Amino acid sequence: MGSFILEQIVNGVITGSMYALVAAGMTMIFGVLRAINFAHGEYYMLGTFGAWLVISKLDAPYAVSIVAGVAIAALIAALIGRLVMQRLVGAPFQAGVLATIGVSLILQNAVILAFGGGYKVFEGGWIEPVQIGSFGMAQQRIVLVVTALAVFAGLEWMVRKTRMGKAIRAVSQNIECCHVNGIDVESVVRRTFLLGTALAALSGVLTAPVNVSVYGGMGESITLKTFAVIVMGGMGNVRGTLIAGILLGVVEALVSGLIGLQYRDSVGFVALLLMLMFRPHGLFTQKARF
Amino acid sequence: MSVTLDTPHAPPPRLPAVRWGTAALALAALALAPLFLGNYYLHALIIAMIFLLPAHGLNLILGYTGMLSLAQGVFFGLGAYTSALLAMHFGTPFVVNLFAAAAVAALIALPLGIPALRLRATSFVMCTLGFVVIAQTVAKNWTDLTRGDMGLSGLARPRIGDIVISQIPQYFYLILAVAVLAMLAFIALIRSPAGRCMVAIRDNETLAESLGIPTWTYKLVVFMLSAAFAGLGGSLYAHYETVVSPLVFQMYYSNTILIIVLGGGVGRVPGAIIGSFLFVAVTEALRITPELRLIIYGFVLLLLVFMFPQGLAPLVERGTEWLARLGRKA
Repeated sequence: MGSFILEQIVNGVITGSMYALVAAGMTMIFGVLRAINFAHGEYYMLGTFGAWLVISKLDAPYAVSIVAGVAIAALIAALIGRLVMQRLVGAPFQAGVLATIGVSLILQNAVILAFGGGYKVFEGGWIEPVQIGSFGMAQQRIVLVVTALAVFAGLEWMVRKTRMGKAIRAVSQNIECCHVNGIDVESVVRRTFLLGTALAALSGVLTAPVNVSVYGGMGESITLKTFAVIVMGGMGNVRGTLIAGILLGVVEALVSGLIGLQYRDSVGFVALLLMLMFRPHGLFTQKARF
Repeated sequence: MSVTLDTPHAPPPRLPAVRWGTAALALAALALAPLFLGNYYLHALIIAMIFLLPAHGLNLILGYTGMLSLAQGVFFGLGAYTSALLAMHFGTPFVVNLFAAAAVAALIALPLGIPALRLRATSFVMCTLGFVVIAQTVAKNWTDLTRGDMGLSGLARPRIGDIVISQIPQYFYLILAVAVLAMLAFIALIRSPAGRCMVAIRDNETLAESLGIPTWTYKLVVFMLSAAFAGLGGSLYAHYETVVSPLVFQMYYSNTILIIVLGGGVGRVPGAIIGSFLFVAVTEALRITPELRLIIYGFVLLLLVFMFPQGLAPLVERGTEWLARLGRKA
């Protein structure tokens, strides 16, 4: 029993790092735009589909498919950033909700229309088990956790030290002052959006060998779980997102192991509802930041 | 009288007459439709009229209290399941199922609304999206009640008195009658003093509260009423399709209802009607596949947000005003 629970916790940490990667992007986009991206899960799906496409059609190795998947998703995101997202600067919240729901409908159904709605098998990934202590774990899972930690360290460095990071923080604090100081708000929004969606796509490609199945509607549940993670982490708080993502992953794993697999996807919703009710500013900050 | 920018332009005196005239013409055209249209086009109109009911509900909560709810699809599905379960287990007549579906949807909206309505703006939207996911999970996993993915099939056809409704034209008149009655109820509601209180809450909640309007109670009641409208629609849907499965909780339904209301024009009675005929009847009649339809909806949403935030209803309103002016000159 003890080792079973430990195994569930380890699995939870791995799934949680995936949630954290996706959510980091959404929380940064929220920071600069004050808009929730209802299409965020679709970029996760696009990344996975891009990788599946180059593997199944071009017989590319998995490492290449990671790059290709992220690149394909980023290309689409660049287009949407220019056409849709940058126009949402200063727009009322309903505009953000409706525009991103529209983008989500277009992306999801375009993929279903092009490739069919059925489940596809993702062949590839580093699935050789590695023996650590008493239990084995696929290499892929280790790659996922290590990548997530590296990405978060990189984000932390970027937000604090680089010009881009400073601009992101400035835009999320006061857009008018950015205009006064000559910061190109729309360009910052575009680049943040690109970075955020690329992280979602990366997370999609890295988890695909673990989840195995790929389908057009896979982004929807990811979007909802991401809401729970960014609210727990505190909207706009990148570091909080990592801890919140792992927390959600671990609780989900324990619930599915101890109560039943079918309740797994409800955990995110219950967490979201409880957080919104009692601590809308997140687990880690004292005051509402936004 | 001096005219400034904020002087409201006086509506032409015959406007109400023209409005009612247009409505009567449209109704007459619909009533005669089965004489001219084939069953497939009648089916498209039936689906549009069924979606009109949850759309009235969303119009009420979004247009008159300003809250964007994605949960209409949940109450639509609840209405469908309530009707189906009642009809299958107790053999209750159609009219009873119809009202039971509305009542159950409203009752379930109460415990959902109490936490959700404390949230504002985007948080409320996220929360209602969560309800959709929970409804899917419950419908799939509570197999004792819902038979899971297999769904409930073989519902008895509705009976009114001694007539069994089984032909498409019969369904058409039945659903037309329910849709018209629901629309009249909706108009009566928003013209009542309660309706004016709702508008006050939408325009300025703090001010409304300071005038002694119990805003929280109003929002909760509106949420329940909008659920009841959606439940009615779900009940009609179940009796028309005679099959109910967890697919009724797909985002497709909530999104379609959203497009109808926003596309037509939020907070206007003709808005939902125009929206449902344009976005449901036309796409259904043209036999556009669901995926392509959702892609079109996505583009429509983007167009609405960036180009026509008022939807299509203002165009129609300008048309009726023009007609009214024309009538006066002649």
